[in-house]
Amino acid sequence: MKFIIEHLSKSFDKKQVLRDIDFTFESGKIYGLLGRNGAGKTTLFNCLNGDIKTDAGRFFMETDNGIRGVVPEDIGYVLSTPTVPEFMTGREFLKFFLDIHEDTISNSKSIDEYFDYMSIDAEDRDKLLKDYSHGMKNKMQMLINTIAQPNLLLLDEPLTSLDVVVAEEMKQLLRSLKTGRIIILSTHIMDLALDLCDEIVLLNYGVLETVDKSNLDSGEFKDKIIATLREDGNV
Amino acid sequence: MFKTLRLSFSLKNTYRVNSILYAIKQIPLIKRIIPSMVYQIRGFKIFANILSAIWELISVFLGKLLYFLLMIAAAASLYQLPTESSPQVFLHLLIILTFMGARANTYMFNPTKDKYYAMILLGMDAKNYTLINYFYAIFKILVGFTLCGLIFGRLAGLPIWQCILIPLFVAGAKITVAAYELWKYEKTGIANNENKLGGFMWILLAVLLVATYGLPAIGILIPTNVSIMVMIVTVILGLLSVGKILTFCYYKPMYKELLVRATMQMDPSAQTKIQQEQSFKTISTDRSISSNKKGFEYLNELFIKRHQKILWKSAKKITCAVLVIIAVVLILLMFAPEVRNKVNGLLMTYLPYFAFIMYLINRGTGFTRALFVNCDHSLLTYSFYKKPKQILQLFQIRLGEIIKINLLPAVVIGFGLALLLYVSGGTDNLLNYAVLFASIICMSIFFSVHYLTIYYLLQPYNAETQIKSGTYQLIMWITYMVCYMMIQVKMPTLVFGVMTIVFCVLYCIIASILVFKLAPRTFRIRP
Repeated sequence: MKFIIEHLSKSFDKKQVLRDIDFTFESGKIYGLLGRNGAGKTTLFNCLNGDIKTDAGRFFMETDNGIRGVVPEDIGYVLSTPTVPEFMTGREFLKFFLDIHEDTISNSKSIDEYFDYMSIDAEDRDKLLKDYSHGMKNKMQMLINTIAQPNLLLLDEPLTSLDVVVAEEMKQLLRSLKTGRIIILSTHIMDLALDLCDEIVLLNYGVLETVDKSNLDSGEFKDKIIATLREDGNV
Repeated sequence: MFKTLRLSFSLKNTYRVNSILYAIKQIPLIKRIIPSMVYQIRGFKIFANILSAIWELISVFLGKLLYFLLMIAAAASLYQLPTESSPQVFLHLLIILTFMGARANTYMFNPTKDKYYAMILLGMDAKNYTLINYFYAIFKILVGFTLCGLIFGRLAGLPIWQCILIPLFVAGAKITVAAYELWKYEKTGIANNENKLGGFMWILLAVLLVATYGLPAIGILIPTNVSIMVMIVTVILGLLSVGKILTFCYYKPMYKELLVRATMQMDPSAQTKIQQEQSFKTISTDRSISSNKKGFEYLNELFIKRHQKILWKSAKKITCAVLVIIAVVLILLMFAPEVRNKVNGLLMTYLPYFAFIMYLINRGTGFTRALFVNCDHSLLTYSFYKKPKQILQLFQIRLGEIIKINLLPAVVIGFGLALLLYVSGGTDNLLNYAVLFASIICMSIFFSVHYLTIYYLLQPYNAETQIKSGTYQLIMWITYMVCYMMIQVKMPTLVFGVMTIVFCVLYCIIASILVFKLAPRTFRIRP
């Protein structure tokens, strides 16, 4: 399976944020989307998730049965600030989600099994989500986004504000999830990208480009990334 | 000193010019033709600068003119006192109002944005900045009040020397109060924000307000000699107080305290955070709440049960209040037959008035706000929630819920009105009862549909739960204005009632069609 973006562009007023996004993502890989502040990473995600209209271009899935448009079920989108319905408990939110997807989720587990899988403590499961900590909300959001097994998982700055333990748990989880799907995570943190991702993609000056890692050690690779970001930023 | 003056002027002007440009950019339609680089374009800047200069001039005169015209001259004319006492009334009103204004409008203790920018963000010398701007404000008062004092004082029949005393008196009162507050800060460390008066101050101001306008109505006026004495003493106190203002040396810490607290409320993101927290507080933490339903019904039931406080409870409170009012009128009708005719007449012609009342008691805006902040705000980020089928299913469930909530008081009002009509003497045409009842019910349903439809079609909030849609605000405003203007409409109940029913039914049909056609695209978080 491939996720293909063709000539996607988006402007706000007269500022062209995404100029010509043209890229093919392949399943089974974690892509690290690097870009400077304001490069348009979140805008790109919002476009792919259908939250904002694109000005031009298209994106679609290519499977063994040919190409098809992207449907909401294809996408899981985890935002940098976790958003969960504050008036529900963790258990209720999960139940609600499972209710809605009872026909589509294969091999569903019990609610507590999901909580165990996500290492959410038993005592927290029946608390209102408004009383969850940042890290727990994040886990909850990750859980909801992964249960339905979306083909494309978008993560906006996923690990930036998590404590080291939760961050490590998340990394493990992401690695375990990558088989059979495409994971794109945007980040500012180069070490995280290098550690977790199979491919580094730069969003720079409104276009996506890969950085070729062949024959470079990690230090040289980092220098190359920074040099690329710096050069193009000055165009 | 001139440098501070120049800097603070240019700062205030920049801030004002940019506010004007920003405001212009918010107007629907016009914003489309204005380029986004508006802040750089010379022509726009000059235009906004002219507006800003006009505003400065207006601020010297217009407020004071209106103040004299409405609060003093117009009010004095209402008493219909003999002409010879008009100078006395004039001074009576002026003196008490001035003392109220001196406390409620000090300039010194008003935490404005320009002060925050200058003293906190740009680190300008607090004392220099404050003194220069304070005395500039006093200067504006002197100029404005000299002109207005002369015009209105002479019209009221005051001698010229008393007219000239007015600006000095007003400035003196303001300076005295400011100096007193500075002294109090030195003693206690508490800086009083003039926009946040305590309970005691409000009571005092209310008492003074009653004294201002109530006493003349019963013929009690401050004697002219006393007024003159008070004015002269205040001028002297003001002159003495200037010293305190000049020598006070804690402007910096004082403003730090005053401004940092106040700017919490000015900063939009801090403000929305506060609002969000308040919104979360409305969520009931009662552990016994649960639901046996499934899917979206489950979501909705939990939402309604956990928001009892702002939904059902307030509807119930309104219903109780309505019951009490109806009972009181019923008792009145029974024991005072002479009012029956009057009430009967009112019921037969004042139905339009109830459009406004139904507007006021509708829980629609509170419902949609809670829906967004506590629910949709987060769920709209999940793609499963945005499937057209799900959006429409939830819309139907919610519509049923909001209609139910609002129907509770509406049924009581509708039934109560029909009952009052019957008790107050009835009507020849039995249809009137039905129309009265049905039109109230229709109005209630209309507002429920209206708010939820507008919410689904415009979804005005962004991810920070700020309202970002000018159209939404415009529609809210129009809704208010139309309902408010209904108060003026007097029409036979039968005619208005039938019109209302037809309108509401049509509106609901059209709104539902629009939601089903458009909401899957429009019901999104605004970027």
